[in-house]
Amino acid sequence: MKLLPVIFKRQLANYASSPATYLSIALFLALSTMAGLYLHRWVEQDSGDLLVFFQWHPWLYLLLIPALTIRLWSDEADPGFADLMSALPITAAERVIGKFIAAWVVAGTALILSFPLVVAANYLGSADNGLIASQFAASWLLAGSYLSVGCFVCTLARQRVVIFILTIGLLLAATALSSWVDALERQAPIWIIDSLSALNPQSRFSTIDHGKFTLHDSLYFVSMIVAFLTATIVTLNYKLR
Amino acid sequence: MIEISNLTKTLNKKNIISDFSFNARQQECLGLFGEGPDVKTMLLNLLSGSTQPTGGHIHIDGINAQTYPHKAKQVIGYQRFKDLSHPTMSVKAFLNYIAAIRGYHGAEKRARVEQAVTRLDLYPALNAPLDALCACTKRRVSVAQAILHSPAVLLLDEPTAGLAADQALSLKAFIRSLVQEMTVIISSRNSEELAELCTRALLIADSRLVADTPLPDLQRSSRHFQAVTLSADTPLDLLALAVLPGVAGIEEHRHAPGTVTVLAMPGHAIYPHIHTLIANRRWKINTLNLEPGRVNDVVQQLSQERSH
Repeated sequence: MKLLPVIFKRQLANYASSPATYLSIALFLALSTMAGLYLHRWVEQDSGDLLVFFQWHPWLYLLLIPALTIRLWSDEADPGFADLMSALPITAAERVIGKFIAAWVVAGTALILSFPLVVAANYLGSADNGLIASQFAASWLLAGSYLSVGCFVCTLARQRVVIFILTIGLLLAATALSSWVDALERQAPIWIIDSLSALNPQSRFSTIDHGKFTLHDSLYFVSMIVAFLTATIVTLNYKLR
Repeated sequence: MIEISNLTKTLNKKNIISDFSFNARQQECLGLFGEGPDVKTMLLNLLSGSTQPTGGHIHIDGINAQTYPHKAKQVIGYQRFKDLSHPTMSVKAFLNYIAAIRGYHGAEKRARVEQAVTRLDLYPALNAPLDALCACTKRRVSVAQAILHSPAVLLLDEPTAGLAADQALSLKAFIRSLVQEMTVIISSRNSEELAELCTRALLIADSRLVADTPLPDLQRSSRHFQAVTLSADTPLDLLALAVLPGVAGIEEHRHAPGTVTVLAMPGHAIYPHIHTLIANRRWKINTLNLEPGRVNDVVQQLSQERSH
């Protein structure tokens, strides 16, 4: 893991050098702010937290996360470059985790850039800053778990369009899991419905969003990140054989 | 330096490499001769640790490459045949990145990159993105990243393919200077060029190691070893050449009239005799060459013998 900072820095530079990163972050911020201000009339609600902004994040991440993941392995999109890396003394784990952390930091930056809302909440009324912090943490964890899915998709496909569509499809399926559960309500056995709703990232996210930052909900996201990153590393190692 | 025993690689149930065994010492330059560039590339891939062998053992610098792939990769430099390309990275950023992955940082990293850039004369291209470079500069960058960490073993896959003659010449001179420092293994389709660089020849045919000989032996087994090629404007007296002691035969060149190659019997030197003959008869000769042996012919002949 000595080379983790090297990969991390390189990936961060890669994001910083691409206009697409700035564009997608700006779009994400604009959409999330507009959704809260115009759809839910946050100013009139006088709620003291940022729930109305954050409840849209699972859907807005469908835009931001695929845009970030297509650049994850773009360094190695060229076969000559990818082969070169395989002869260097660096493990697949270092490459995957380094890249993932860089993308996660970029997603975190996008979240932090919505700080004017926190300032406004504190200025306009009595804000519950503990709740706001938990909402930020939940959103960041959600972004991490979505990114790890994108990271895994990148090992399956090389073309950018395929990565983009596959990631959107997978994330859409995961985010809309609650509607699936509703549709299955009377047809399927109860244990299937239970396990499906336990897997639903949206319901986990909304419980944290409402201020219940419990261990098992955050562990759900962390375990999702670990599982998908492990799958990525295993796939990469298998490909080298 | 390198010890390889019973190395085998199977892909899709087909043997790409079967039962290779050879050793290489320090300051030795091994040439991979023979047909099938993919077989040679696969062998280099196996040595570099980017592909795992199906069977057999590789020891590099006393390190078992299968058990400690990480350690083995640290003493190997590998220039691939495939060209590097990257849309945004400049040559400088690329070399710095590789140096960082090789574990250097700070002043030592700068010194390493500086040294590689100087040795391969990359200063003019330093800030250009990799995609914008011509094939020749890309190849030099590729070699530069391979020698950055002064590896004990350097693997070169077609280092001069596709380069202009003068560029190939300067790169060859550079490779020759590297042999003093490290074990070099070169794969090339151009046998004559390889013969200029190598001290030992490994001949590969039909996924097997057919011959492992010092290069002079390979040249000696050529029909054209010690042969003399001469050309003149006026027709030469072939009979006078044929009766010289040690002459095995005469070949006339179909495409260049007035040019003949005089073959020598094994163990005979005919050059002095021909030289005296020319002096005595006062022939006006344009060129007079002593041949080192045509390695290309030998390689082709040996590979064909193998496949029959």
